[in-house]
Amino acid sequence: MRCEKIKGGKLVCIEVALEADKVRSVSITGDFFLHPEDRIASLEESLVGTPASISQSEAEGRIKSALGDAQLIGASCEDLARLFKEAVR
Amino acid sequence: MRWRLIDYSENDAFMNMAIDEAVSESVAGGSSLPTIRFYGWNPAAVSIGYFQGIAREIDLERCVGLGVDAVRRRTGGGAVFHDPDGEITYSIIASERLFPKDIIASYKEICGRIVDALGLLGIQAEFKPINDIVVNGKKISGNAQTRRSGVLLQHGTVLYSVDVEKMFSILRVPDEKIKDKMIADARERVTSIRQQRNVSWEETYEALVESFTKGREIGISGLTESERARAEELASSRYRKKEWNWMR
Repeated sequence: MRCEKIKGGKLVCIEVALEADKVRSVSITGDFFLHPEDRIASLEESLVGTPASISQSEAEGRIKSALGDAQLIGASCEDLARLFKEAVR
Repeated sequence: MRWRLIDYSENDAFMNMAIDEAVSESVAGGSSLPTIRFYGWNPAAVSIGYFQGIAREIDLERCVGLGVDAVRRRTGGGAVFHDPDGEITYSIIASERLFPKDIIASYKEICGRIVDALGLLGIQAEFKPINDIVVNGKKISGNAQTRRSGVLLQHGTVLYSVDVEKMFSILRVPDEKIKDKMIADARERVTSIRQQRNVSWEETYEALVESFTKGREIGISGLTESERARAEELASSRYRKKEWNWMR
């Protein structure tokens, strides 16, 4: 699990399970805000099945399109992508 | 614009969260007026943010031992210990058109009412983005907002007389947060009204009511029959359920 208190933002933790160099499951927890909240499921789902070698910018693209018009408060898509990449490593 | 004020009452954690949701639904459906509600948690409880991992945030064994309930909120944010004598919780539920579109600006506006209430009690507090109110850098109020179906729900607590030993025996404070705040002892990070001024709970409540209702046309009433029924339903179908509380 990779956790970070985002500067000027909130705590975000990303836990990843890998199987044969692919992401089998992703769990994103913390005290951040996301409106609407249930969009978190699509966000996590968007990263499942990605190869462990995924680039940070590709992960960020997936995160952005999963979030769509949802509002993330206390962390940015870039923060999530960076933490995801670190968690996969 | 007329508002409804629901006077302070105490419920268990599950009903408290269910009532906020039931009122949000009735405000969204146009059957209830925009609402300001004050409440307490009895028995004492911990509420965790929607995205938090319950086992990471709370010492559940200790909760059971102390008879403290645990509930997941439908708002994000952090874990909060709610003691019936130690704090006052509010919720404000209204069309989001009545507030700034910008989330931080709307926190600032609503939290401004709490800052003003504390000012009435002689306590100089300030809003600290994203969602805190602090006195000399120490947290005295935490707040959490969500928006759904055009309705803004913000709930939050004002610490009146906090039992920090009990609070931090239940809440686990992650290392990352301690490092960020540069204070090893989490107890140094919170304060309460009683630590600042010798004012009664009643005076505190009056100041909050005065500040939240200022400039608004107010009618005092309770929940409607259908809101109560819906809240009972939500409490049993969601907030009391392990599937909900252990979702993460």
